[in-house]
Amino acid sequence: MKISEGDVEYVAKLAMLEVADDEKKELAEQLSRIVEYVQKLNELDVSGIEPTAQVVTSVKHAVRDDRVVPRTGSSDAARSVKLFKVPKVITER
Amino acid sequence: MNLRNITADKLVALYRNRDLTVTEVITNVYDEIERTDGDVRAFISLCRDRAVEEARRMDVKIAAGEPLESLAGVPVAIKDNMAIRDMTTTCGSRILQSYIPPYTSTAVERLRSAGAIVIGKTNCDEFAMGSSTENSGFFVTRNPHKLDCVPGGSSGGSAASVASGTSLIALGSDTGGSIRTPASFCGVVGIKPTYGRVSRYGLVAFASSLDQIGPLAKTVRECAQTLEAICGFDHFDSTSADTAVPNFVKNLDQPIKGTRIGIPKEYFVPGLDAQVKAKIEAGMRVYQDLGCELHEISLPHTEFAVATYYLIATAEASSNLARYDGVRYGLREAGNASLQEMYRRTRHNGFGKEVKRRILLGTYALSAGYYDAYYLKALKVRTLILRDFQKAFEQVDVILTPTSPTVAFKIGEKTGDPLSMYLSDIFTITLNLAGLPGISVPCGQNSEGLPVGMQLMSNHFEEALLLSVAHHYEKAGGFVV
Repeated sequence: MKISEGDVEYVAKLAMLEVADDEKKELAEQLSRIVEYVQKLNELDVSGIEPTAQVVTSVKHAVRDDRVVPRTGSSDAARSVKLFKVPKVITER
Repeated sequence: MNLRNITADKLVALYRNRDLTVTEVITNVYDEIERTDGDVRAFISLCRDRAVEEARRMDVKIAAGEPLESLAGVPVAIKDNMAIRDMTTTCGSRILQSYIPPYTSTAVERLRSAGAIVIGKTNCDEFAMGSSTENSGFFVTRNPHKLDCVPGGSSGGSAASVASGTSLIALGSDTGGSIRTPASFCGVVGIKPTYGRVSRYGLVAFASSLDQIGPLAKTVRECAQTLEAICGFDHFDSTSADTAVPNFVKNLDQPIKGTRIGIPKEYFVPGLDAQVKAKIEAGMRVYQDLGCELHEISLPHTEFAVATYYLIATAEASSNLARYDGVRYGLREAGNASLQEMYRRTRHNGFGKEVKRRILLGTYALSAGYYDAYYLKALKVRTLILRDFQKAFEQVDVILTPTSPTVAFKIGEKTGDPLSMYLSDIFTITLNLAGLPGISVPCGQNSEGLPVGMQLMSNHFEEALLLSVAHHYEKAGGFVV
């Protein structure tokens, strides 16, 4: 499985990453090698095997009482930045 | 004062007998850091004023004859991916260079409640992604045993600090071996507890289903003491296990005669360094002399672990690291850019090469058309790896392997070839996939004086057994740096 520079560009777009032109070639080569390596999993027949997303070790559901407890408030969270400011989200066409 | 020749127990006893004050010790620790950390570079940030203030308060308590906590006045170092209020928490990344969290992680809070004094935060691979601490966005940490070698990673700063005597105990985090590998390379003890044992609240997420916090120290006993302090249910972590925490320290000396130790043949492969192999075999003989039974076992899916891990870990990472968007944390590269451009520029300038590579790989594995072939497939192989261990633990109590196929490698040796770096994790990542606990204990040095680590694994929540088996080895003249 070869990953092309175009693939890198596409995935970078999905991941909101900028990739410089000179990085593309190197990344395509490195990712190709890694993806080639993980093809190893195709040697295994996994039909009928349940996926494990998380090894659940706790039998208790983490549900707490519906009670107000003092916690880090938003004023605390924004202490260092005062407020969260973002560029204009909606732009005129 | 260098902490290399003292343990937490002895230090607390010296305080109690008024032979030393906490203030003296903490002040000396900072002098020692000034003297030696220019070479090793274990620390990203220090908190001298606060630490000295805490030391003074502790001295007042001691003078008043108040009872002392188990880790009273013990200087500890914290990997810089755990939040501490009012201290920068960088994760070794430029994107979080100026981030100061408004709260403290549960593990650090509990360590402080046990009397420990945080002296600083340690270097690590950016977002804990790496096996050598060379991926830090700031600088490379060096192995105190040999400065041109890596300390292992990603908790390399924590291991190097303990090994060079600039802290007594350190916290690290382990997603694929990030506590055990640096412990092995730096000749200290490091334990990754069962998934869910230690709260992840305040640990910056890399791969949420694999991450776990644990201690590094010179001795098994100190690791046991630290674990006792930090383990236990925490309602701020939805995956925290509500399981009783045994008295690990009291259990250390329980007899281990008759313990069945499994030796998985898949871990003794051609890539295993001959000197490492010889040390591990010597370790097995120590256990035979202690009356343990050795059994050859098989973990047949071991060879698929690296591939499985690098799909699951990167997929989770690509999702977890989506939050670094220039809005809420640290760095923002904006100018007159649009929102989307701000996201991209911030992430481009803030993330290092390895982090980008993993985000790309994870995004690829999760993207339309590839989800089933890569991510879902890896989750199924994860089940097979877990079953291997379940079967093995029907036959044996503990599994013994090398921690790493080699000793510490040279700085720069593997940075050009990410895959070869990934393959160095081959013996440690299986445990994370299975959520099991594992410990690395020093078991000698090679002909160049570089430490070798022996890994012991046990079933879920069997840390007490694991620690006692490791402790007996250490006592039997195994090896203490």
